[in-house]
Amino acid sequence: MDIIDLGAQSPTSADYMSYIATMCDALELDYGSYASVNPVTGDVVGYANYSDDWKQHYISRNLHRVDPTLHVASRSIAPVDWQRFERDRKFHSVFRAAADFGVSAQGLTVPIRGPYGDRGLLSVTRNCSIEEWEKLKKHIIGNLQTAAVHLHDSVMRSTSLVRAMGFPTLSAREIEILQWTAVGKLQQDIGDILSISHRTVEIHLRSARTKLGAVTTSQAVGRAIGMGLIFPG
Amino acid sequence: MIVIVDSLNSHEYSDILAEMHRLRARVFSDRLGWDVKVSNGMERDEFDDLDPAHVISLDDKGQVVGCMRLLQTTGPHMLSDVFSCLLDGEPPIRSPHVWEATRFCVDTNLLGRGPTRNSISYVTSEVMIGAFEYGMHAGITDAVAVIDPVMNRVMQRSGNAPYGYLGSPHPMGKVTALAALMDCSEERIESLRAFSGIRHDVFEQQVYEEGV
Repeated sequence: MDIIDLGAQSPTSADYMSYIATMCDALELDYGSYASVNPVTGDVVGYANYSDDWKQHYISRNLHRVDPTLHVASRSIAPVDWQRFERDRKFHSVFRAAADFGVSAQGLTVPIRGPYGDRGLLSVTRNCSIEEWEKLKKHIIGNLQTAAVHLHDSVMRSTSLVRAMGFPTLSAREIEILQWTAVGKLQQDIGDILSISHRTVEIHLRSARTKLGAVTTSQAVGRAIGMGLIFPG
Repeated sequence: MIVIVDSLNSHEYSDILAEMHRLRARVFSDRLGWDVKVSNGMERDEFDDLDPAHVISLDDKGQVVGCMRLLQTTGPHMLSDVFSCLLDGEPPIRSPHVWEATRFCVDTNLLGRGPTRNSISYVTSEVMIGAFEYGMHAGITDAVAVIDPVMNRVMQRSGNAPYGYLGSPHPMGKVTALAALMDCSEERIESLRAFSGIRHDVFEQQVYEEGV
């Protein structure tokens, strides 16, 4: 999936909006929305590519106060398919009117947890048959997890909380593996050099990318060089 | 049979959750001698208040015989906090595709040895299959599990050997503890199923013919 990198500079809300739009295009989704609550200030941040009419409807009726895709989903560790709310009256009171606005009630929410107790939610919808939906979900769920954490971390990095606390630090192993990557070693070679499996190398690289807010390994290497963690190869 | 209990459905499983906390007290406090908080015969810690998911194995009578607790590594979890000694003081891995598994145990009082349905190795495999299938469904590719050497050996012998370890083993209570890595994949699930003979959907109640 080609995804916009939000880690480089300070993104604006326009960047977040186009991030969501690009994600929906790439993953064959109709709509996407992101929401989080700042754990210190209680401020709610939200971005969505829904139509203005639906946003207006949703906001004017304060539907965020009852919407279980926000309140319930944030307490799960796994993505929550909205089928789970089938018997939830609150869900229907929010989404009953959604069809009139062209928004499908077929969707799922990816809950995100950050290191400081911060939580975020990335919700997506797609109007299609249930069979197609199940197939699509299986296909995109890993990418959705990546996109959700990337977006959430980027939003949180701009808050005073994370600026004050700092972001998760890299381990000595992660730095070592990034350094070998910077000089052009492949994962298999790095595994041989360090006497660990190539999948262990892969896990450390993934973790380093997440901590550096990078989408790709080369971005992570670039960022680590910029921060003085490793030397250019 | 496996049930996944999290904060979305915990109100439907309060008895099972209480039984799970009692099992954890017997294993981690009584048997392994870990420094854990037990009150009213139940072991609980602050991570139980962070909306984890529990993978719970029930035997044919509906008794809790095994469990495991899952948390996302992107948020607060045990390796980022109380188990940091296992990582030699290094910061833990953080990834949207990696879950942390802790408090993994089976009931050695109720379960016997050998290959039967009521054995340690069967329930261990069942909990693992349940956790990996739940994880795969959620887009998870790997798990880091805090385990003791006995559990490590059971896993190595049951087609479920960790592919790596983080940090180094550390003394904890009467045993040592270590952080093991496992891929959350079709291959590993198949290997676990082949070893244990578990072919059915572990999330579905099985009906067994009596007297056969």
